[in-house]
Amino acid sequence: MLFNSIDFLIFLPIVFSLYWLLYKNLKAQNILLLISSYLFYGWWDYRFLALIAASTIIDYFVGLQIFKSHNKSTKKKWFLLSILFNLGLLGFFKYYNFFIESWVSSVSTLGFSIENTWALNIILPVGISFYTFQTLSYSIDIYKGKLTPTNNFIGFAAFVSFFPQLVAGPIERASNLLPQILKSREFTYKAISTGVKLMIWGFFLKLVVADRAAIYVNAVYNNVENHDGLSFIAATVLFSFQIYGDFAGYSLIAIGIAKMFGLTLITNFNRPYFAASISEFWSRWHISLSTWFKDYVYIPLGGNRVKKPRWMFNLFITFLISGLWHGANWTFVIWGALNGVYLIIEALIFKYKRTSVIHIIITFILINFAWIFFRANTLDNAYYIINKIFTAPGHLYIGSGDDITASIYATIAIIILVAVELKKEFFDSLFSISKNKSEFVRILGYSILIFVILYLGVFGESQFIYFQF
Amino acid sequence: MRKSEFKLTGIKIIKFTILLLVVDFCLGFISNQIFVNQKTGKFHRSTYSIYEAKEDILIFGSSHAHRHYVPDVIEKELSKTCYNAGAEGQQLLYHTALLKMILKRTQPKLLVLNIDENFLYKSSKAHDRLSDLHPYYEDFKHELRPILGINSSLIDFKLFFKSYQKNSTLIHALRYYLSPQIDYKGYRPLDDKMTPEKVAIHEKNHSEKEFIEEIDDYFVRALKDFISEAKRNNAKLLFVTSPNLIERNVSNNESLNRIKEIADSEEIPFLDFLNTPKYTNQFELFHDPSHLNDDGARLFTGELAHFISSSMKI
Repeated sequence: MLFNSIDFLIFLPIVFSLYWLLYKNLKAQNILLLISSYLFYGWWDYRFLALIAASTIIDYFVGLQIFKSHNKSTKKKWFLLSILFNLGLLGFFKYYNFFIESWVSSVSTLGFSIENTWALNIILPVGISFYTFQTLSYSIDIYKGKLTPTNNFIGFAAFVSFFPQLVAGPIERASNLLPQILKSREFTYKAISTGVKLMIWGFFLKLVVADRAAIYVNAVYNNVENHDGLSFIAATVLFSFQIYGDFAGYSLIAIGIAKMFGLTLITNFNRPYFAASISEFWSRWHISLSTWFKDYVYIPLGGNRVKKPRWMFNLFITFLISGLWHGANWTFVIWGALNGVYLIIEALIFKYKRTSVIHIIITFILINFAWIFFRANTLDNAYYIINKIFTAPGHLYIGSGDDITASIYATIAIIILVAVELKKEFFDSLFSISKNKSEFVRILGYSILIFVILYLGVFGESQFIYFQF
Repeated sequence: MRKSEFKLTGIKIIKFTILLLVVDFCLGFISNQIFVNQKTGKFHRSTYSIYEAKEDILIFGSSHAHRHYVPDVIEKELSKTCYNAGAEGQQLLYHTALLKMILKRTQPKLLVLNIDENFLYKSSKAHDRLSDLHPYYEDFKHELRPILGINSSLIDFKLFFKSYQKNSTLIHALRYYLSPQIDYKGYRPLDDKMTPEKVAIHEKNHSEKEFIEEIDDYFVRALKDFISEAKRNNAKLLFVTSPNLIERNVSNNESLNRIKEIADSEEIPFLDFLNTPKYTNQFELFHDPSHLNDDGARLFTGELAHFISSSMKI
């Protein structure tokens, strides 16, 4: 079920009402959360519910077994079971064909003739990268003694499948979300109000910013032979806002819904395009994933408490894996590697904290350059686009008919977004609509925002980009 | 758990809902005024067709209708008034809806439907573009519900807000206010002339098909509805295919064959210009391989008007 669908508009009030009708019975509330989460996911394809259920059951029992075992090697065996199962799921559904095709292609490059008969017709289950990482962190934390497993299976299953963040994050840690699910929640007007406000802004980001920008971006990136450098620059900048609007929009809606259910999820984006360095960007962008990789890949590799070459290797490999996590395509791998290289260079050259506008602009340009690989359909396309940008600026494609209209709407939406974020970043103490003392101003402000969404938004029930990851 | 929190939330929701409806009503009213006061552009033409057109002859169809039928030529030949209600990119569902709205108010004598040979093939874009009808939903619920309801069973719910009814129309209005899109009774001429080199470039840039070669039952039903609406209102019907620069073999085109069958069974005259030698390979008459330029359009409309005057009593 998509957040931007009529189905969800009916689903949410029903679940919300039932949930708070059951407020005196925690177990019933959690059972309702579990059923509604499975319904939410099954709406897309019920067959893949078995994967979530299997992942839940295995990690629940593995968690308990690791905790109970006193023997280190037994603990390790249980731990490996969780790792193998979750990464096995991910590996098979997401990467099997990619590795087979890459292997066949590299063998062919060496001059050997080989026929690819191993590729399978596999459907990628929505959100598999998110819920496998969430359950993995549960097992890892228990194995490392940082977390005590729960005996409450319903609560644990509700944690794994919690519908607002099930398919596109934020990737929650058991240490944050699970205790909230296991204790009774308080209905407060403040939480409901905050949740609704976050949802409205999230929908603005998705329907007005991301989906409008997507029209121009798709017209250019899906038809690279017919465009010049200037169009690629415009499309890439628009894509940077599209991906931000899409993903931050989804995260805000998820966080907002969770708030309405009395639960607090991790903040996933913190105005990333105001970062003055690449490392700062990664502390503001997809925070739940960045911290996951930091805690479970980078630090176990040694982090920065090792010799310099090894530290650089740790940085690079972490971002390479992060790139691969985003998609089974070499474009994502290069995107990840490029970010790793940026960080290494930055760490070697700059010894001081950067804050100036120039640094913000340079960071934005570098991030945009990396987005070319992220958005391009193939590596060849990415190289073609970069070559055109530097050698043939040509004419700026402004589209025809409705495309021009979409570009203008996208520009208006981006101006609103940047103005709001600029104000929050640098002038937060100034006039605020969301925190205004006057109730009338607050309600009027959000009513006008809803009007803008309905008036300017794209309502084709488009998928969120991160569903594919 | 304090009951006062529930009560407080309930009161706030009511306040929020009321203010939201007021904002939607006020800003919706303004956006509606902007919408209906457009003087040129596609929405101006559809609004004129729906609320004002009283012409004897109305032209329907996609860009091929919009760009090929010159009302002045028809009016001179037949001494009847004519308006071109063709709309770029729109197909049968849209035109059936448009016809229903027009016939609610006026009774034209002749309806000319320009047939694209792929009209009955499945096309998601044809469904997507029905959003151009949203601005008229409030006034024509009965006529539009069956067609807009194809894509959403909750169309009344979706179009409850006035702001959503006028979604994406603002820039259109501003754009054509600043730079008017002149038309001549709905017809917009194309200039430029084709060359073999331009054909090659065009084919390369427009290789993507907007349809799947499978018959869409909704489109078949829309065509039949179009015919029955016309007959119910005693309007004569004429189906026409426009000329094409390059000769095409359409003998196996299931969509076109089906349209011809329907026209035949309903006794609707079908004028087929698709592979007419007079136009084939006449580069100076075309703007692109499937669109006539103004010279071509005037020649084509002249032939059509002659056919109507000689073969149809209106």
